Amino acid sequence: MHCHCQMSEGAMAVVKPEMKSYIWLQTVDGSIQQVEEEVAMFCPMICREILQTGMGSSKNYAISLPQRVNPAILGLILDYCRFHQTPGRSIKERKTFDEKFIRMDTKRLCELTSAADGLQLKPLVDLTSRALARIIEGKTPEEIRETFHLPDDLTEEEKLEPLRNITDDPRIRLLNRLYARKRKELKERQKLKNVEVEEERVDERSVDDLLSFINGGDGDSKGTRTKNKKKHRRRKEQNKDSSSNNSNWNHNKEFDPLPLAGQNGDLNDIFVGSPSRNPKSQDSTAANFSSKIEFVDGDIDDDLDPAMKEELDREVEDFARRLNSDWPERMQEILSLGQERRPVPISMNDNGSASRYTSLGQR
Amino acid sequence: MVVIRVHADIQMGDFSGADLISDLPQSIIESILTQLPIRDAVRTSILSSKWRYKWTTLTQLVFDEECVPRNERTLFQKSLVNFVTHVLFLHQGPIHKFQISASYLQSCPDIDQWILFLSRNDIKELGLEFGEGQWFRVPSCLYNCKKLTQLALVRCELDPPINFNGFISLKSLNLHQVLVPPDAIENIICSCPCLESLSLSYFDSLSLNIHAPNLKCLYLEGEFKDIWLEDTPLLVEMSVAMYMTDDIAEHFEQSSSCNFVKCLGGVPQLERLSGHIDFTKYLSIGNDLGRLPLTYNHLKTIELYEVSFEDMKEMLVVLCLITSSPNLVELHVSCSNSPAATDDPDLDFWEKKRSSDCLFNRLKVVEMTDMSGGLQEMEFMKFLLGNSPVLEIMSIKPFVYDMETQLNMLIEL
Repeated sequence: MHCHCQMSEGAMAVVKPEMKSYIWLQTVDGSIQQVEEEVAMFCPMICREILQTGMGSSKNYAISLPQRVNPAILGLILDYCRFHQTPGRSIKERKTFDEKFIRMDTKRLCELTSAADGLQLKPLVDLTSRALARIIEGKTPEEIRETFHLPDDLTEEEKLEPLRNITDDPRIRLLNRLYARKRKELKERQKLKNVEVEEERVDERSVDDLLSFINGGDGDSKGTRTKNKKKHRRRKEQNKDSSSNNSNWNHNKEFDPLPLAGQNGDLNDIFVGSPSRNPKSQDSTAANFSSKIEFVDGDIDDDLDPAMKEELDREVEDFARRLNSDWPERMQEILSLGQERRPVPISMNDNGSASRYTSLGQR
Repeated sequence: MVVIRVHADIQMGDFSGADLISDLPQSIIESILTQLPIRDAVRTSILSSKWRYKWTTLTQLVFDEECVPRNERTLFQKSLVNFVTHVLFLHQGPIHKFQISASYLQSCPDIDQWILFLSRNDIKELGLEFGEGQWFRVPSCLYNCKKLTQLALVRCELDPPINFNGFISLKSLNLHQVLVPPDAIENIICSCPCLESLSLSYFDSLSLNIHAPNLKCLYLEGEFKDIWLEDTPLLVEMSVAMYMTDDIAEHFEQSSSCNFVKCLGGVPQLERLSGHIDFTKYLSIGNDLGRLPLTYNHLKTIELYEVSFEDMKEMLVVLCLITSSPNLVELHVSCSNSPAATDDPDLDFWEKKRSSDCLFNRLKVVEMTDMSGGLQEMEFMKFLLGNSPVLEIMSIKPFVYDMETQLNMLIEL
């Protein structure tokens, strides 16, 4: 039996002028309410119950509502039904009512959504889910967790998996790198002789770097690409301040050979792809440039002597500042970095042009 | 360090309340996620362990320029393409709607793979909009999308194979600035039996012969050599903006068919007609209209723009249309800026018209724009005024530069 009460608002109304019909509803806590029939019939679930089982006509035979519907929420839902089942309301009136109706705290809104779903009241479900979407939109993960009381129960490792960071969230990337750095620090302290291992890794990558460097063309004016990483590490660090941002923003998804366990955070990639750094040959030097930066990214954690630590801290500071600056400015900066040993201070540019980043909740 | 501090705050135990939202039914979660921009939806995977894969079963994926941080053009293209590829890679289950639209989007090999992936995942609604530059050549796997109901392409190249049998379920086809071999268009249209809405714009010199028994809405814009609605009995709404170059006009001089009949002869259910630029001129070409055995009982709204009133033939087209539409409610006409007439209007003709029994019993709104006060126009307006018993609004907007004639016009009326 298909209930059409939702479609034709007034059609199911059985209002006898002398005697109004009431339906009895029972919520999970045992309390019983009586409601005008036409209002109750607006909910498909109640409608069906009445028609199929004949319940609801008296107090003893009240219709049991799903567990998700508590009395307070039921009241709200009935208000909604009462308004909308009245024929002759203009679309504008209904929209105005809806906008006011959903103004409530988040907890209530979630309960309302759940209850509306239980009663199969689709228009209300759509309305509330739209409102919830509006709440979620534009917030940072932390803000969303706070709003909805979500447990932050992903392990560090899981969060670090760039699986989650394909939307270029710079804060997460920053987090990734900080964690990676810390982990490296710990490893350093535990192992006494790890220099060889690291050097091996470094050497491996420098070969690859070399290859890609050769393959990709080395006409870049940046001058940041060096073959011997150890020697020019300091410079790379600084270049990486700015350039890594670029790479992170643009090439977080570069394909990479399956990284070793400890390096997940470094390169921000986990996808197993072709061994070549560039999955397909790119014509633009800009793309080449960015892919090479990815490489440099991985080396940052090898040096952990105090001088470098300072570098790291400063770098993170710079990083945070850069979250507010413009892309063109950063490009300028990279281009001008060239042979310099110190990062060029960026002019803080807090106008709305970097709205993308401010929307991530920078405070 | 802002970031570290925030992290410290989010240790467990900070919240007293239970999780509010994660246990809602998946259908609601998907409803919520669908209403978020794709970027935000994907980011929910980092919220908590329950949310890790909630977004991956979304059936609607809509991408645009907002998906990735706005950067320099070449990098933007790459990051957008990467983003989409990765979303598809992580996605689980069917994808019913896929839409991407970005002014910087250029053709690249990855996009072919997207189409292949979608063709294997029950795609129903597909929309691709590319930027200026090299147009995207749609790969052959598109033609394997059996469940396609809506297709919209902007700046692409279509080249269906010879044995292409059409899209059985396609209801809506929208091609804008699409390069297609001329006969292929007609084939596509007639091999999609369910087609209800067709929109073709920015085509060059297309000769169109439409067989679409279920077609309800037609929108055409561009340079058409010929429009023949051969089999469109259910057409309800029609809008044509047609450019006619001189050589096309010449081509017609030689033909003997009546364009009016070819175009509007088989649309008895028509409710709304809208013609722009050279459409009326196109209709006026052909055999003498005289008395046409056509009645448009459902036609309620007629909009004819850029009508050249001085051309008697076009005038006849307009008159013919409105007199064949007994239930006409709204009429919008605008005048093209042609130079003043050389001939005086045939006053006898107008006298006859005015005194004829032709009444517009339902005509309520008449809007005339860009009027230049020509005599023919005046006669037309007098005719309308005189034969429309229930007319409520008659709005006349004169052509801006001609102040003197404006006043004359108003005085006469």
